Amino acid sequence: MLRPVVSAMLGLSMLSPAAAQSPAPPAPDSQSMETRAQHWAWQPLAEVKPPQEGHPVDAFVAHRLLRKGLAPAPPAAAEVQLRRLWLDMVGLPPTPAAVQRFVAEPSAAAWRREIDDLLASRHFGERWGRHWLDLMRYCETLGHEFDYELPNAWRYRDYVIRALNADVPYDQFVREHIAGDLLPEPRRAEDGSNESVQATASWWFPEQTHSPVDAMQHQADRIDNQIDVFGKAFLGMTVACARCHDHKFDAIPTRDYYGLFGFVQSSRYVQAPLNPVATTAAPYQTALRYQRNLDGTWNDAGHAAAEAGFAPRPDEVVVADARDPDEGWYRTGDAFGDEPWRGAFCSNPAAEKPRLTRLPGPFWLSCAAGPRREGTIATRSFELRHRYVHVRTAGQDARLKLIVDGFHVVRNPIYGKLHRHLTNPDAHWVTFDVEMWGGATAFLQAIDQRAPDLGDPKHNRGVYPDDAWLAVQTVLSSPHAAPPATTEPPPSIEAERTSLSEATLDSLTALHTACEALPVSPTIPAMADGSGIDGHVYIRGDHETLGDDAPRSFLSAVPAKMSAAPMNSSGRLELAETVVSPDNPLPARVMVNRIWHHLFGRGIVKSVDNFGALGDHPTHPALLDWLARDLIDNGWSVKHVIRQIATSTTYRQSSRRRAHAERLDAENTLLHRQNVRPLEAETVRDTLLSVSGALNPALYGRSIEQPRSQITKARGKPGRHDPLDGHGRRSVYLAVRRNFMNEMMLAFDQPTPFATVGRRNRSNVPAQALALANAPLVHELCERFAERVVAYSRNDAQRLQFAYLLAFGRMPRVSEIHRLLPFVEDAEDERATWFDAMHALLNTTEFRFRR
Amino acid sequence: MSMRPTDEAGRLSRRELLRQAANGFALLPFADLAGRQQNGGALVRHHAPRARSVIFLYMDGAPSCHDLFDYKPRLVAEDGQKFGMTMEPTQFNSRGNTLGPCAKFRQHGESGQWISDLLPHMARCADKMTFVRSMHADFSEHTNANYFLHTGHGLQGRPSMGAWVGYGLGTEAEDLPAFCVLNGGLVPPGGVDNFHSGFLPAHSQGSLFAMRGAPVANINPRESDQRQRRKLQLARSLDELSILREGSDPALDAAIQNQELAFRMQTAVPELLEIEGESAATREMYGLNSDYDKTRIYGRQCLLARRLVERGVRFVELTCADTGSDRWDQHGGLKEKLPKNCKMVDQPIAALLYDLEARGLLDETIVLFGGEFGRTPFAQGNNGRDHNPFGFTMWMAGGGFRPGVSHGATDEYGYKAVEDPMSVHDLHATILWQLGIDHERFTYRFGGRDLRLTDVYGRVVRELLA
Repeated sequence: MLRPVVSAMLGLSMLSPAAAQSPAPPAPDSQSMETRAQHWAWQPLAEVKPPQEGHPVDAFVAHRLLRKGLAPAPPAAAEVQLRRLWLDMVGLPPTPAAVQRFVAEPSAAAWRREIDDLLASRHFGERWGRHWLDLMRYCETLGHEFDYELPNAWRYRDYVIRALNADVPYDQFVREHIAGDLLPEPRRAEDGSNESVQATASWWFPEQTHSPVDAMQHQADRIDNQIDVFGKAFLGMTVACARCHDHKFDAIPTRDYYGLFGFVQSSRYVQAPLNPVATTAAPYQTALRYQRNLDGTWNDAGHAAAEAGFAPRPDEVVVADARDPDEGWYRTGDAFGDEPWRGAFCSNPAAEKPRLTRLPGPFWLSCAAGPRREGTIATRSFELRHRYVHVRTAGQDARLKLIVDGFHVVRNPIYGKLHRHLTNPDAHWVTFDVEMWGGATAFLQAIDQRAPDLGDPKHNRGVYPDDAWLAVQTVLSSPHAAPPATTEPPPSIEAERTSLSEATLDSLTALHTACEALPVSPTIPAMADGSGIDGHVYIRGDHETLGDDAPRSFLSAVPAKMSAAPMNSSGRLELAETVVSPDNPLPARVMVNRIWHHLFGRGIVKSVDNFGALGDHPTHPALLDWLARDLIDNGWSVKHVIRQIATSTTYRQSSRRRAHAERLDAENTLLHRQNVRPLEAETVRDTLLSVSGALNPALYGRSIEQPRSQITKARGKPGRHDPLDGHGRRSVYLAVRRNFMNEMMLAFDQPTPFATVGRRNRSNVPAQALALANAPLVHELCERFAERVVAYSRNDAQRLQFAYLLAFGRMPRVSEIHRLLPFVEDAEDERATWFDAMHALLNTTEFRFRR
Repeated sequence: MSMRPTDEAGRLSRRELLRQAANGFALLPFADLAGRQQNGGALVRHHAPRARSVIFLYMDGAPSCHDLFDYKPRLVAEDGQKFGMTMEPTQFNSRGNTLGPCAKFRQHGESGQWISDLLPHMARCADKMTFVRSMHADFSEHTNANYFLHTGHGLQGRPSMGAWVGYGLGTEAEDLPAFCVLNGGLVPPGGVDNFHSGFLPAHSQGSLFAMRGAPVANINPRESDQRQRRKLQLARSLDELSILREGSDPALDAAIQNQELAFRMQTAVPELLEIEGESAATREMYGLNSDYDKTRIYGRQCLLARRLVERGVRFVELTCADTGSDRWDQHGGLKEKLPKNCKMVDQPIAALLYDLEARGLLDETIVLFGGEFGRTPFAQGNNGRDHNPFGFTMWMAGGGFRPGVSHGATDEYGYKAVEDPMSVHDLHATILWQLGIDHERFTYRFGGRDLRLTDVYGRVVRELLA
């Protein structure tokens, strides 16, 4: 009945089943962990020397070719080389001036100069940053039913671009990704802002639902994704395969997986300020001094200082108390100062009716240095052994959240009870009934930040006001529905300005001025430390079936060992140092292999994200280790390695096939030529922008949303939209919304953000051809391309030369002019004819491919 | 079709291709493409298939089986009383009293299957249907459950079953994709990733056909056919020159062929959608003249599904139109909203079954009806039902399934599957089996593992098969 007819769609694929290409896997479970640890990737970097004279890369490659009786291909034509270099380095076609310059004198020195110029170009980071974003499954929303925003996620994209442009040493880059929030000496930008912390945003790109029935399962799934990305991106290891059982093929026992699990479980989500004011800095201290001054100048007779008028009952657990400020509190930002506040304060010194509040006893206070300060304060993690959690607090427009099982998307229908919006400026108790979550691990997070929370119901209505503030004193885990009996002090005083003395008004003005002088910092999603949690193996991945203890630790097969992780912090800092230690060969190998992949279209290890037993073996193991060593020896400079490879003749070879060589090396694993590759999604669009003259070279900033016409009707659709050409901004700046992915980008294989993708699909689907033929964006840009070419000269041949320089980075041949001239000559409608001719150029394979 | 020089892989030689291209772009016979390259599809055939295609009638939001298919006298008797079983946590955690069905149930056909009065047309097909009354799922949130039902995994990123089927079997249509999604208007929670190819090659992903506006992105040429052809001919002739100079490459050949397929689709897709040629009786049968516009939309989708299957498309999925009832997700307003959804799909689906049968296509086409989970037999509020992954009903028709039978059962409240429970993995395994695929041997290597649609689970439920 069934004819085995394969469709044209299938037939056109360049891909074939991966299983058919990979080596047969070893029988699972047949080898001990010790035997598996003999696998090549775990071994230390070999001390290797190039096997012959000359450029080291060429030496390694030529050596293998020679043994096979092959020679490298001759160099590609100068203009082919130059276009290749530009596309690979900056993801843009060469400018006509660059082409003319290089073709006139294609010397070795000129080639080096081109490389150096491009490595120094600010567009370098946009191109290589996008490669990195693929590894981090970068996105700006959480997906699921409502596709909530991850506020300020785009700043991470900018961080990556800056870091690559600045050639931040790769070990530092990795360190920042794992524990940038914890570095004792964070890397700072020129304006003093903290660069390092921004890398930790990458932990927060897993999808998150708004209302999981089982928060612990949700946490386990999120952390699984985080470990998966951590393992693949930095180590080239499929660590997450060890979630339910020991890894089937690699030296990764399931115990290792849960050892990593603890680091993430001990960490928390916050919006971290890029540039918090140091609480020790003079202006901050000045603001505090004026705040303290109020106590003496504001006449509040009868408003006696009161101590906290309550005592915890014997069966209650004090989770944290401001009277014991060094125990169980975790602060971020610059709002809460270094110690709890005592005495009176004014949260609104510039208001019509300033308010004097005198909280009973010490409280952590977010507005001592003014209401514009931002930050969070959280308790240690504790088990919800009792049904109630009582929080002694005060505040206005800030919020309290009880984070259960690491679930930060706190909102209705299920979790709404764990979220409180503070509207009472006097000390009071807030009670959470946590019956539903009995036995779970939780912490209280008090938040005074403008940025909306994850899944925040306010999210669509704007951000929180500048003058929000909060205070928190005690958190109790209690079996009692009512908080402890408390003697409340008199309420705070709200006074008309006219009723205040001159001296008080002066003090308020001074306070306000001092507070306003402190800058407010933008924020970014980030990791923050919490209590150290050492968990257990989940047997068969089931969080309800606990196995052996699994204290926090790094992969056991890596020689680098870390000491026990501290109990008062996540231990990520120690983890980061272990990952980048000289005894771990993986990060350097994995990174140079990624660079190789991007310059040749295929890694020395083809499976760039998997160096394990099921991955591919390196085609040039000695070269891989030599490059890894070269990276380390040159200060982990990524640009150095790129330069090293791009200066080789191996890189500069022609991609033209030679029958003899194809027979001996059909897959080109020995690199007897360069590889032909389609341009990636971003490069297709950026090249279109470039040839049309619409390219806007601006860097950084909020993401470009899709035009209104292309936003599908569904929940969580973006409220903003941008014009069709996205203001000419490069594609790396297009918003990445999980439920509203850009269709054209997807058609050209931009990955959906769910896991590390070091090697993109290179598919060949009609949607691509249809886009280049019919997409409104392509037509709009082609119109501008044609106008630009027509305006260039009155002479048809000169116009064609200009068009070729723009589109292909070369001058047209006579034969090409001969085909094009009859097409454009004597056109009735010059505009339409030139549009068609230019549109034809954009639909050639020369445009779509890099050779 | 004339014979042309091909290489050993069955591809047209580059020279021949260019010769043809130079002679006239649009003249290239696309029928050839099928035989040209076989490395794209896995061409899986583990045993003789019983079915050729699948039509998945996906009921986004999870229909209430207690009101449609799963008749439980106890639910009627105890309506409004305290629920008689332990209640599991639910999405909204609003767990009220027992809620009886909002319509009357009757037995239908010779098989005597119980179907409620909300589905009068489908009821007439009772003897064609195979009911599984003991389905269960692993998730009780829409997005996870949607991914799970579509991909066998609760998180984003895995290939949809249509992608697996398309990848494994290819399509018999020459100018249409193997996996087509007819989008009635609603995109289910989780987005188009429900239809994605995941780690499979991108060509196996579901192609979305919209029911309004352009049916496929960029399918409509923006100029005359003649003008476009002339332009693309110029592109081909420039390709020829640059390839002659810089050398050929399979990737370039494939891109050129692909462009020609795209050009051809510009005609094929509008032809497919041209349903005015169908008889008045057919159009009437499918509900295209219905007084309810959503029935008209869904009727058109069902009719197009038949046309796609006729053309050899392997997997067709239909999503629902927006009845303003929040999909089938009636947490409240059940009595008012559920009948609207029923009205949307009832007549068109019955027509589809009759039409497929009349054309001899039902035997080789699996029609699958269902949502991502079930709903609670107890009330949310007083007129709604919350999510229930523990027990629900799906049905199949055609494609070698035993008609007129019921398989498995829920408990006496219809809450949980208790007799012959059937998992989503079992469903996948069984459907693949009917297509000639052994789910345990149908794998794709990704991220270091040989992955399957059924993960490490699933059993072919042979009791369902004729």
